[in-house]
Parts: sequence; structure tokens; C-alpha cells
Amino acid sequence: MLITRMTEKETCVTMSSKVTTSDLPRRFHGKWNKKEYHVLRELGRGANGAVYLASCSGVKQAVKVGFEGMDLLMEVNVLKNVQQGRDSRVGPLLCDVDDLVINGKACTFYAMEYLEGDQLDQYVQKKGTEWIPVLMVQLLARLDILHRHGWVFGDVKPENVIVTHSDKQVRLIDFGGVTKLGNAVRQFTEEYDRAYWHQGDRRAEIAYDLFSTAAMMVRLSVDSQTWQTSQGEPRQTQLLCGIIRKSEGLYPYRVPLIKAFHGKYATAQEMRAEMLAILRESTAAAPSAPTQKQSASGAGGMWISSLFVASMLLLAGTLYYAWFL
Amino acid sequence: MFSHLYVDTVAKTGRMGRLFVKEATLRQILVVTDGCSNSGMSPVAAAALAREQGITVNVIGVIEKSEIGEKGESEIREIAEAGGGLCDIVYPQQLAQTVQMLTRKAMTRTIHQVVNKELQEILGDSGITELAPAKRVQVAGMVDELGEKSNLNVVMLVDTSGSMKPKMSAVQQAIHDFSISLRSRSGQSRMAVCSFPGKGKHMEVRIPWTEKVEQAHQLSSDLAMGGITPTGPAIVEAIALFEHVQLPQSLSDRYRDAHYEDDGEGNLRDHVF
Repeated sequence: MLITRMTEKETCVTMSSKVTTSDLPRRFHGKWNKKEYHVLRELGRGANGAVYLASCSGVKQAVKVGFEGMDLLMEVNVLKNVQQGRDSRVGPLLCDVDDLVINGKACTFYAMEYLEGDQLDQYVQKKGTEWIPVLMVQLLARLDILHRHGWVFGDVKPENVIVTHSDKQVRLIDFGGVTKLGNAVRQFTEEYDRAYWHQGDRRAEIAYDLFSTAAMMVRLSVDSQTWQTSQGEPRQTQLLCGIIRKSEGLYPYRVPLIKAFHGKYATAQEMRAEMLAILRESTAAAPSAPTQKQSASGAGGMWISSLFVASMLLLAGTLYYAWFL
Repeated sequence: MFSHLYVDTVAKTGRMGRLFVKEATLRQILVVTDGCSNSGMSPVAAAALAREQGITVNVIGVIEKSEIGEKGESEIREIAEAGGGLCDIVYPQQLAQTVQMLTRKAMTRTIHQVVNKELQEILGDSGITELAPAKRVQVAGMVDELGEKSNLNVVMLVDTSGSMKPKMSAVQQAIHDFSISLRSRSGQSRMAVCSFPGKGKHMEVRIPWTEKVEQAHQLSSDLAMGGITPTGPAIVEAIALFEHVQLPQSLSDRYRDAHYEDDGEGNLRDHVF
């Protein structure tokens, strides 16, 4: 009895919306706009509602049905506002907002573009960890657009990022956490929440999203067991730094990661540029490194010693960020 | 700050909204418990009393495995319903996040209700449901903004009876965490933390009204052990912490005076560790 309560969270939560979304009819039409939807299957559940895959006049769409109308409408409000500047797609397009009647009660829903793709962590699992930096650079570009429109995503986590099948683009889904710059973050997940890591409060700032992005990059790069070890008490970013030090994939990105942990970037673009530079360097250096090693004299020696100097500088920078900030 | 919809409606009807004062204050009591009350007045009645006085009561049940039972669960739901608030039953690990989420949702709900009442007066009985969804989205934006800007006073009422002992570190963390969330808001926020049962009384103020809870606060030391869980009386006493409330004479004699005699302002701090 109780266990079903726990899995079907929110059933206990409200008194006005006793409508549980499990009663959703297979076929329904909106009360106002009269669009007809044919429900295909459930896609997932967020804090504010359940998302279904539905077809509307032959087009696949994701339909989110709210537990509580007002929370859902706030999400729509954000989605609408974010879409005012459509220079690039950050999330799904909003298609329809309407009411449907379940058991005689009006229930608000909205329909959005269905983004067919893999959840970020599943994508990385399938394609390999070398994809992580590429995806992070893409994600930072999306966040930058959002930030420039005056919004912070808030709940950056693998479950809220999708890599589309068609064009391998990173897109954000679930706008329930999106918050106006300067307000209190509406929704967050502890593992990626900077306040939980004692790195600041929950005011919606660009740095808040960048912290989550950095924490998520660490999460994606290690197995869940290693990640669990970082969750101990007291939670400190030193634990994350420890993981970075030991991880081959993360180590080259230690400087931007640590800067993000300490809120040192003013914009997502800045962090993106630094990560991109490292990404370019590593892809350029990787194949040439072994051939250089064979002729480790003259110019090769010079090259190695300059590399040594560069790495010492990076190390000094890392230590500086780890200890003094 | 106010949506065009509202401005339009006001222009059309020539009414000024009483609601849209900048200094709106929302008041909440958040009960954190793990089971049924077994002492004193019904907590459901106490919650109804709080609601009458403009205080919303939210309840979080904290469980380990599935110990709460159907009776405890229905009590939790009934308290929240009577108190006009929300409830949820979670594991200790989820507590911190649930506190934040529930508080926010309850705030949204209260503001929504007030806005809806206002709209009903302007638009007729059905109020907001008669608005087309596109217009309602604008109202939502306004409700969101009001929620962020309004003042918020929350009393966290923590059950510290024996069975809560293993969950106290999670509670502790949730208190500190909640304080961070409150500090991040634009509106003025205050919180107080009380525990029940108290030593020789129903409830004890552990952290008086504050805008910032330091991490060093320890609640877990000297918990009252034993089986007494006076949830109802504790809620009634928590109401007395809200200065705006005029208690009825009988309750005032019983709770407020006693409360202040026992631990008058100066001594309140003694209970904070």
C-alpha cells in the first residue's frame, strides 16, 4: 500500500487535484483549441506532471499533463518566454496549451515538440565517454542562449538533457526548474545543486547552472560507485576534485571544472571557450604524441620540455583554485 | 510587474485590486513527523484552526521502509487538507528537497487562491477556469512573481519523539538546507524551528524567528524519549508564534501566556544550541 504511494508520488500531495494522470483517456481533445490527441505511451514523470507521447493530426508530440494546473502553467509561461528569441533551439517548441476533462474535472496540459533521442547519460553509456566533452560544449552553448534571455535552467542533470537521434544535438527538456535570473531556483536536484555542495545559495545565477554542468560532467565520466563515494558527508567539492585527479577523461578539463565549482565564470560562453580549447588541443595532440616520443631529441626534446612547463603552469593554476578560493 | 491581463481587467472594470499589495506575507507551519499523534487535541482540528487564522499547514511524513501505516498516512493527509496545505511521505534522504518543494508549491497555491478569488469578483463565479489557457499562462507568470517577492514566515514543527531519533540528522540537514532556500528568495523570509514534545510541555522553540540558520545548530541532543506525540497541541502552540494572530481568550490563557511565562523572550535563546 505504502510502496505504491511512494512510487506514485504526488498522489498524496494535493486535495484540489485528486485527478491522477493514470486516468488519462487514450484519446482526448482540448476543451478550447479542440485539437485531438491520441495517447501512445508514457514517457516519464517530472515534479509537475506526467509526460506522454501522443499523436496530434499525425504528428508525434510530447504532452505534459499537470498534477496542479498552476505549476504547469508557470512552466508554460517560461517555455513561452524562452521561445520569444528563437535564434537557436534550446528546448522543445511549445505547440498547444489547453484543458482536458478527466473524471469530470478540468485538467491543464500542454503539448510540445517531441524530441526523439537518448537521455544524456544513456547516450554516453552507448557511445563512450569521449563524447562527454563534446556534449558539454554543446550544452554550454544552449545554456548561454537561455542565460542571455534572462533565465537560468536550474535543474541541470542527465535526465533533463537529451541528445536527438536525428542531428545529435543536445536539447534541454523539462523546464520546470527554469528561473528568472536573480530569483530563487524553482527546482533542483541535490547531486548537482551548488548549495548542497556548500558552494553558494540557490539564487538563480549563471554560475549556478555552470556548477551543475561541471558536477554533471564528473557524474557522467565515472561509474555510479565512484560517484557515490563523493556523496559522503560533509559534501565538499574536494571530493569531486579527487575524482577529477584520478580520471583520465576529466583530468585535462580540471581547470574549467574547478573554476565552475568556484563560480569563477561570468558566462557559459567563457567556460565553453576554455573547454573547447582543451578539446581541440587534446584531439590535435593525441595522434602526434607517440611519433614525437620516438625521436626524443632536438626539437622533440624542446617540445616535451615546453609541454612540461605548460603542465606545471596548469597544475599551479589548479592548486591555486583548489586551495585559495 | 503585473501582467497586462490584470491591468486590462482593472482598466475594464475600473477596480483596484486589494490583493496586489507589495507587502503580502505568507504564513506556513510545516510539520515533520513519522507517525500518529496520541496526545491532546486532534491535529486535524488544530490545523483547521491555523487555517482560520491565515496560516497554511503542510505535513511531511518521514519514513524508513514502510513503517507509517495506513492510519498515520491518513492522519497526515487530513492535517494537510484541514490546514489548506500539502503533504508528502518520503524517505529521510528526500527530506531536504521535499521541504523546499512543498513550501514552494503551497505558496503558489495560496497566492493562486487569492488571485482566483479576486478574479472571481471581476469575472464571475468560475474565476480563472473561465479564462482561456493563454490568458491563464499570464496569470501563472504573475502568481510566480508574487510568490518570489512576497514575505514568507515558516515555522518548522519537528516531531522529536523517540522513533524520530534515527532520522534527526536528515532533519537537521533539511533545516539548514531550507534556510539556504529561503535566503535565496527575493522576498523577506523568516523561519523558526520548534520540536515536540517539549520538556514538560507540548512544544519547545529550538530556533526562534531568524533569517539565517547556522549549520552549527543541533537539534538532536536531548530528545524527549517515549511515546508521546502531541501533534495537535504543538500546532496550536506554533500558531502563537505568528505575531499577527489574535488568539481566543481561552487559548491565549492556555498557550500564549504560558508560553511566554515559561520561556520569555530572553530565555528563548537558551534553547538554541
